[in-house]
Amino acid sequence: MRKRSSTGVIAGTFVLSLSLAACGSAGGPAAGSGGADGEIGGEITFQTWNLKNEQYTPYFEALVDAFEAEHPGTTVNWVDQPAEGYQEKLSADATAGTLPDVVDMGPEAAYTLGSAGAILDIAEADPDAESDYLDKAWEAMTFDGLGGGTYGYPWYLNTGPSFFNTALFEECGLDPDDLPETYDELFEQARTMGENCDDVSMMARLPVIETFGEYGAQLMNEDGTAYAYNDAAGVELVESFKELYEGQGLTEESLNNLQTNEVEEFKAGRLAYLQGSSYTLNDLKETAPDIYDNIAMGPRIANTAPNMYIESLVVNASSANQATAIAFAKFVTSSENQLEFAKEASVFPSSAGTLEDPYFTEEDGTPETEVRVTTAEQVGEAVVWWPPAFSGAGDAETLREQIALALLGDTSVQDALDASVQYSDERLAAGQ
Amino acid sequence: MTTAVVPHDRPVRSRPEPSRSGRGAASRTHSRWFVPWLFLVPALAVVGVFIVLPFLNTLAIAFTDSTMLVPGQFVGLENFGRLLDDPRFVTALVNSSLYVVVVVPVMVLLPLVLASLVTGQSRIMGFFRTAFYLPVVMSAVIVGLIWTNLLGKQGLVNELLQWLNVVSAPLPFLTDRWLLLFSAMFVTVWMGLGYYMVIYLAALANIDDSLYDAAAMDGAGAVRKFLHVTLPGVRSTMLLIGLLSSIAAFRVFGEVYVLTNGTGGVGGRNLTMTMLIQREGTGLQAQTGYAGAISLVMFVLLGGLIAVQLWLQRKQADR
Repeated sequence: MRKRSSTGVIAGTFVLSLSLAACGSAGGPAAGSGGADGEIGGEITFQTWNLKNEQYTPYFEALVDAFEAEHPGTTVNWVDQPAEGYQEKLSADATAGTLPDVVDMGPEAAYTLGSAGAILDIAEADPDAESDYLDKAWEAMTFDGLGGGTYGYPWYLNTGPSFFNTALFEECGLDPDDLPETYDELFEQARTMGENCDDVSMMARLPVIETFGEYGAQLMNEDGTAYAYNDAAGVELVESFKELYEGQGLTEESLNNLQTNEVEEFKAGRLAYLQGSSYTLNDLKETAPDIYDNIAMGPRIANTAPNMYIESLVVNASSANQATAIAFAKFVTSSENQLEFAKEASVFPSSAGTLEDPYFTEEDGTPETEVRVTTAEQVGEAVVWWPPAFSGAGDAETLREQIALALLGDTSVQDALDASVQYSDERLAAGQ
Repeated sequence: MTTAVVPHDRPVRSRPEPSRSGRGAASRTHSRWFVPWLFLVPALAVVGVFIVLPFLNTLAIAFTDSTMLVPGQFVGLENFGRLLDDPRFVTALVNSSLYVVVVVPVMVLLPLVLASLVTGQSRIMGFFRTAFYLPVVMSAVIVGLIWTNLLGKQGLVNELLQWLNVVSAPLPFLTDRWLLLFSAMFVTVWMGLGYYMVIYLAALANIDDSLYDAAAMDGAGAVRKFLHVTLPGVRSTMLLIGLLSSIAAFRVFGEVYVLTNGTGGVGGRNLTMTMLIQREGTGLQAQTGYAGAISLVMFVLLGGLIAVQLWLQRKQADR
């Protein structure tokens, strides 16, 4: 019996160790070895995520060939990673010092890698580049919290119109010719819809950090060192959602929904309003033709500037061929190549002047060009509201959870936002 | 064909190999002391690299403010103090503990009952054994997705309950805190039944049939045989299953993760300890120091749980 107990102790310790061994840490990134002013040449690796497929592969292969032809003696190895676990891949690479020379990522990842010194401050390494990009795009990659450095060449932008299911508007006593354009109108019509229809709703997701920006809340303090969305406007926004929830205008499922659930609800005909992107129209046409037949589009609902998202190309601070990496990142994000990519991918260029191309200004009467031209106009006034230091995991999840608790009445709206801000401030301080 | 006959009163001993130098043989044996270790090297390497080193690393970083990309500084017990102020930690601890309290007794008893029912050599029993074991070979994610569809508002379970007039409106299995937690527990039990049933089947096979015959001759019915022959016969197996299922229940992740769509439920009220560790300890902005502290607390709690069970086991054996 004693022997069995010993075996049990060993087995138990082993299993326990497995649970504890799941956590790991990292060393810092390796010091840089290549200079930004060096000769262009040698081999670099260019990493994208979720772009190697039938639609985009020819574009990128041609792009790499063109760069290699323009700069003889250079070799660009293009690698693509799946979207699933991309952040984990970046962290593993950065930790191991094996980050590719040029990497495709958003500001959130760039902020984290920039704070760890793993990627290049473009404003310092290539100060002339700023004039090649839209001011807003450049600003979106310039991080106040990191001393005002710019940590990536702006690449493509994305925003989109509001989509409405007019059939649901009619069914629930709303006028499809009087679509909401402000948050006040949206909440009012959502309440009416909740009162008149049981199985459908106007909205199916809690506000996210971009919503606070679009509503008029101040997201961070001036120097980017603390969050501030628990201000009066932020509280007012969440109070409106709470009122809607209490009036049956928001289902309990909505408290837990992610963006994918929202899109599914819209496609299933249970949701009347969707903040879309430039991809949405085609997606609806292909995957939900019944809904597509009844949609109406309007400008993105915002009390302030509408939101947009940005993707960038960062350069590894430890790249052995930094000059080549910089040259390639600038080549990919040049006006000519961004325009071509925008045509392939239904996105918008961040390079200065490219939005003035007739492709973004002239309509041919089809819904597709209507969306493109309208959205391109929107890009001119849009802002990347997502604070780069705001984590898509911890911060965004905590915000959603706290708002849900406030809507359920477990805490007050102010306390919920205060708790969320406190959590994010602690993470921000820990990361600096 | 000849058969060697060995007298019973003489011990059989292998004769030593003739050697020109006895000292040489001893030295050769001595010089090969490492040979057994060579056989162990692959296993030791795996355990060392994937368990011992990460374990020690986690132990070390739990006392630092390290993030995924920055090693961090020693902060003493700060992470543990932060844990006490973190309402998510309390929620996760309550949920994981409740999981142990509810799931473990069911996991110990129900598979035993099932094993007792399906023991035997007939084909129909074989069919049931296979059927009960089937969920074990399915991935937790697939099982979670199946049950997510079944338990949704438009899912089969709600449709059935409404059709039978048991409820007038769909039950919020996937949004209500307690309904979701108990739904996840149900899925865990459903998945684990077959595994523990097989362990019990092996234990049942070791019980001498004559004990059942003797009990029958004494007039015992099926229930009394179960209580007085089967249960004492599998007591040590029950303790083992209690130990294994406690560890598994406290570390529950997949079922709750999938049923909550990866969010930890409405307001994060269904977070479990492992989900909290995953949330804090993964991704580019992971706070590995804090996640390490949560892991360490979980390790200590699980260690305590196991110690109690081993103590109970020893006490049973001493009786």
